[in-house]
Amino acid sequence: MAWECVFKYLSAQVFFSYEPINKCISKNTYLFKAFRFGMLLDHGLIVSSVSWSALLRHPAFLGAVIGILAAFSQVLLISAGGPEAYGFCVACHTRDLINGLTNIVANTDLALAAISKNSLLPVMSVVGVLIGGYIAATLNREHKVRKGSTKEYIIYFLSGILVLNLAMLFGGCPYRAALRTGYGDLTAIIFIAAMASGVILGAYLMLKKAEKEQG
Amino acid sequence: MATGIFSKEVAVFAVPIVTLLLGLLIGYLAQRSGYCSIGGFRDYFLFRHTRLLFGYFTLIIASFAGYLFFWFITPAAMEHFFWAVTSGPANPMPGAPVGLNAVAYLLFAIVPGFLVGIIAVLLGGCPIRQTVMASEGNYKAAWFFLGMCVGSIIFAAFISGWVIAVMKTLGFGA
Repeated sequence: MAWECVFKYLSAQVFFSYEPINKCISKNTYLFKAFRFGMLLDHGLIVSSVSWSALLRHPAFLGAVIGILAAFSQVLLISAGGPEAYGFCVACHTRDLINGLTNIVANTDLALAAISKNSLLPVMSVVGVLIGGYIAATLNREHKVRKGSTKEYIIYFLSGILVLNLAMLFGGCPYRAALRTGYGDLTAIIFIAAMASGVILGAYLMLKKAEKEQG
Repeated sequence: MATGIFSKEVAVFAVPIVTLLLGLLIGYLAQRSGYCSIGGFRDYFLFRHTRLLFGYFTLIIASFAGYLFFWFITPAAMEHFFWAVTSGPANPMPGAPVGLNAVAYLLFAIVPGFLVGIIAVLLGGCPIRQTVMASEGNYKAAWFFLGMCVGSIIFAAFISGWVIAVMKTLGFGA
């Protein structure tokens, strides 16, 4: 009897159905409770122990890492100059990287933050994000070439230009806005609120479009 | 002048190295978690999923905690912490085009914020998500990143000066 149940439990593992076990074992027995515990584990309803890989994959962990290390990098590097709360920002650091390298190569005088202007090379965090994302995707076999049409490429290219210019008018992307909020800048809270309302409007438009396509 | 742990001579060399290491860690974790600030608000609005939104709010709280902690340890590096107290609540941090008044910076927070929200949600991700997707092999996101690179030169060469000139003509000069 017990072996039969084990076999059914294993086959249920394969087909993701626990119906045979419920019929096989009488309820309120120890074996039933053990199997039910196993089911809850399988569905992720019980966390048996702290899982490091699950922690690394949680966005809140990355949020804490960015927040604390951005503050730490300011402690290390603020002597080189530059604005405060500048530890991590995709838009500003892309601007610093491209304009700084252009200044070095083409001997121009494009504007960039003081921390990049005074340093040997501009801030490199965007290069790090690209390489780090590539390493993570390759190690976990998630690197996959996804192509689009030429029209989509043009739309994405133009929106990239637009988003960077808009972010530079404010002085930061959503991440520097969060860092500035943590640093005590009230303008950044207004930016985040405006961004949230923009996202809600955009998502509403997407929802309407999807409903129209469905009929 | 704010001074950190490194002296200026050392910090000049350390800036690319420290930011590169920080970026590597952030890029790795961002790929694993699918981190996205725009996606957080979008998922909450559409599906009531709080996973990504929780990540973004954690960033705000953790940055406040981090700045507060290091402000206690090395106050010289955090010259203007807490900004709203030391520099006035209407005064924004440097980063936006200089030489305008508080109303202009308020407009620069509201209008670009709203437009960035709409554009990014229609494209399917904020700048960091697009950068990570580009490194995952998404060509559309790579074109977005290329657009950001070209846009940075365009902004520094043209848009920045034009916007300041237009805003000063409209009476928003400092």
